[in-house]
Amino acid sequence: MKRRIITSTAALIALGISATALTACTGGDGDQEGGAPTEITMLVLGDKPTNGRLEAMLDKLNERLVEKANAKLDLFYVEWADWQTQYNLQLLSGDDNVDLITTATDWLYAWENAKKGAFLPLSEDMLKENAPKTWEQVDAAGDWELTKLDNDQIYFIPEDAYTQWTNHGFFYRGDWAAQAGFANGEITKFEDFTTYFQWIKTNVPDAYPWDVAGANEFALTGYLQGHTDLQTIQQITAGNYFPFQTPEGDETDVTSWYMEGDELLAAAELAKEWNDIGVWREDALNYDGVTRELLYAGLTGTDQHHTQTFVGQIVDNMTTKQPGSDPKLFSFGSENGNYFRDIKTHGAMAVSANSSNPEKALQVYDLLRNDEEAYNLINFGIEGTDYVVTDDGKLGYPEGYDSSTDGLGANFWAGRMDEFELPRTSEAPNKDEIYDALDADAKDYPYSTLVVDKTPIESTLAAMSGVLSEYIPQLQYGKFDDPAAAIAEMRQKLKDVGYEDARADVEAQIKAWDEAREG
Amino acid sequence: MIQNRMLLFMCLPAIAFFLLFSYAPLPGIWIAFTNFNYNDGIFGSPFVGLKNFEFLLKSGQLWLLTRNTILYNVAFIVLGNILQIAIAIMLNEVRLKYFKKISQGVMFLPYFISVVLVGVIAFNLLNYDTGALNALIVQTGGDPVKIYSTAGAWPLIIILVQLWQSTGYGSIVYFAAIMGIDKGLIEAASIDGASAWQRIRHVILPSLKPTFIILLLFSLGGIMNGNFGLFWNLVGNNAALFATTDIIETAVYRMVMSQNNFTTSTAVGLYQSLFGFAIVMTANWIVRRMNKDYALF
Repeated sequence: MKRRIITSTAALIALGISATALTACTGGDGDQEGGAPTEITMLVLGDKPTNGRLEAMLDKLNERLVEKANAKLDLFYVEWADWQTQYNLQLLSGDDNVDLITTATDWLYAWENAKKGAFLPLSEDMLKENAPKTWEQVDAAGDWELTKLDNDQIYFIPEDAYTQWTNHGFFYRGDWAAQAGFANGEITKFEDFTTYFQWIKTNVPDAYPWDVAGANEFALTGYLQGHTDLQTIQQITAGNYFPFQTPEGDETDVTSWYMEGDELLAAAELAKEWNDIGVWREDALNYDGVTRELLYAGLTGTDQHHTQTFVGQIVDNMTTKQPGSDPKLFSFGSENGNYFRDIKTHGAMAVSANSSNPEKALQVYDLLRNDEEAYNLINFGIEGTDYVVTDDGKLGYPEGYDSSTDGLGANFWAGRMDEFELPRTSEAPNKDEIYDALDADAKDYPYSTLVVDKTPIESTLAAMSGVLSEYIPQLQYGKFDDPAAAIAEMRQKLKDVGYEDARADVEAQIKAWDEAREG
Repeated sequence: MIQNRMLLFMCLPAIAFFLLFSYAPLPGIWIAFTNFNYNDGIFGSPFVGLKNFEFLLKSGQLWLLTRNTILYNVAFIVLGNILQIAIAIMLNEVRLKYFKKISQGVMFLPYFISVVLVGVIAFNLLNYDTGALNALIVQTGGDPVKIYSTAGAWPLIIILVQLWQSTGYGSIVYFAAIMGIDKGLIEAASIDGASAWQRIRHVILPSLKPTFIILLLFSLGGIMNGNFGLFWNLVGNNAALFATTDIIETAVYRMVMSQNNFTTSTAVGLYQSLFGFAIVMTANWIVRRMNKDYALF
């Protein structure tokens, strides 16, 4: 009896081992029927929500992903506190826990990270096999060209089928502007904000005309954009500043509005006038209030951000929180039509060079982007709880929903598609009108495919950043008694740290890029 | 060796800690001399010599930053130690046990307040528009002061905040050292008719000398490292104050943040460490010349 028990136990163990071995063989990448689902982690930017809605959505989404691709998705958040440093550190660490990486060429260092080897080069076959729908759409639009380095490899997938406007402008109150004497409450010139600000200062003692906090340079760049024809080269930053521009019609003539011309002085003098009026707090540089919340509370007359924010958040919130405030948008550069259509790589998705399951990651991305059910889940959440579809086919929110606390926060900014986007009840009713008006004058950003090699000018850019971060904030907030002398001093310092060499280097690179493009 | 087995055993965690977190990463310094990329890694990336140090020299600010950093640290070290010793001695003289414990606790508390909060408190006290200080000045008929645009005021504010935060905590070490003084010495002095001041002057202070020197040598090693959190939260991006408040860390943070370039920050870290190393070696050499027993090594 005893012997039989031993034999059967041994047999069971043997069976167990072989079964495990078999599972191990077939379950490797989870691709085969019956294998465990592969975990795919996607790096997103934003603050991780804590209201439980994200987790509920992921549970549902994962059911769909398991069914369609035998994979599960998890999100890894790089939070807004110190995101610039944290994002790059995360990639630098070579962490193999991340498979998909949200990126962008204009604000998330896509080219630099591709060059430094953080992203897996994606072959055509790999894309065709694992992300067929995405491949087809991007290919039909001819947009793979926007994602290649000079070795002709594709490094990321562009968010190229989603209309967005990321040009910045002032949000202001039409009701106050009307009382300040503007017809229909509409301000059409940057300088006219002086009148608006002055009216607020006199008539709304509780509010600051523009209760702006800390790092901000739009009092300067907003003016410069509307008073020059210069376009900023987004690829090159010196710290938080974009030092290089080119004039319209001559894309290879690199200059800088910080260095040349009288416009910077005019902008700085206007800023000084605003500072003397008391448009912002005396200590705005150290202040860290949230201007948008103050706008909603009626405590500031102005905020600034891009069109998308105005259309999607400001109009709705101001209409409910400040009834009758008639929110309006003044686009920077609208005086002379000096603004740009958004680039198609303002959002993009890369596969990590260290991903253990790159194919599966692409399959998951393809579903998130093209499978309507998965798309709705990751972007809008669970129908009925996170959103509702109204009778007239709009996307609305259920009774009692508060967007400031109930947000889903999945931040899938790398694969949105116009095809699946419904008009929203919370959007500005005249959204199309706003977009059409912008589209009428907008220029195409000429440098979508420009990849700048910053290695030779890295130390100059860092030193320039040191100079700019000393002078620009003080000019922006009108803190110099003599702006002309301060600008002269800044220009001299920029020259001393090697501005001219860096400018010449960038110009040479742009000329080479231009020739290659035309040749 | 054998008789110290237990002591050595107790040191093991500390040894392991330093091996793992201080010595093992040392080869990573190499990154400061490369144009780093993920593909080739630290040792495979192309060697660029001293190029990553260039921006520090180019910026023309190296001297100002080094000077500010060192002066602030000297103030922190000198004033900090004097205050800590004074407080430890005063507490030691207090006979009322509860008073002693409570005041120690109260002085200890600021150490646990996050610098982020300290920055917010300072702003609420000192800002021009709504600050408590200016409200008081205006109420009493004065003109409000623009503290956040007065560079000259900040060395004082920063030093005060640093002392407020660290004195209670730092005094513990001295307090422990006083506890370790042979009671017999103090009693003998009392019997010989020494006043309280004489006991402090001739018994306690000389006994604290070795502790003071060791702590001094330790802090000299970090003389090139500013207290980044404190400066950043108090001053932030306020360029009007840079002349007196910019230290190496804050300037480098501004210069290389968002440049996606870690090699330059490593280069700065190396510059700071080498400078600190040289200072410690020099100070230790001087101490050894003066009194061998007090030197670290």
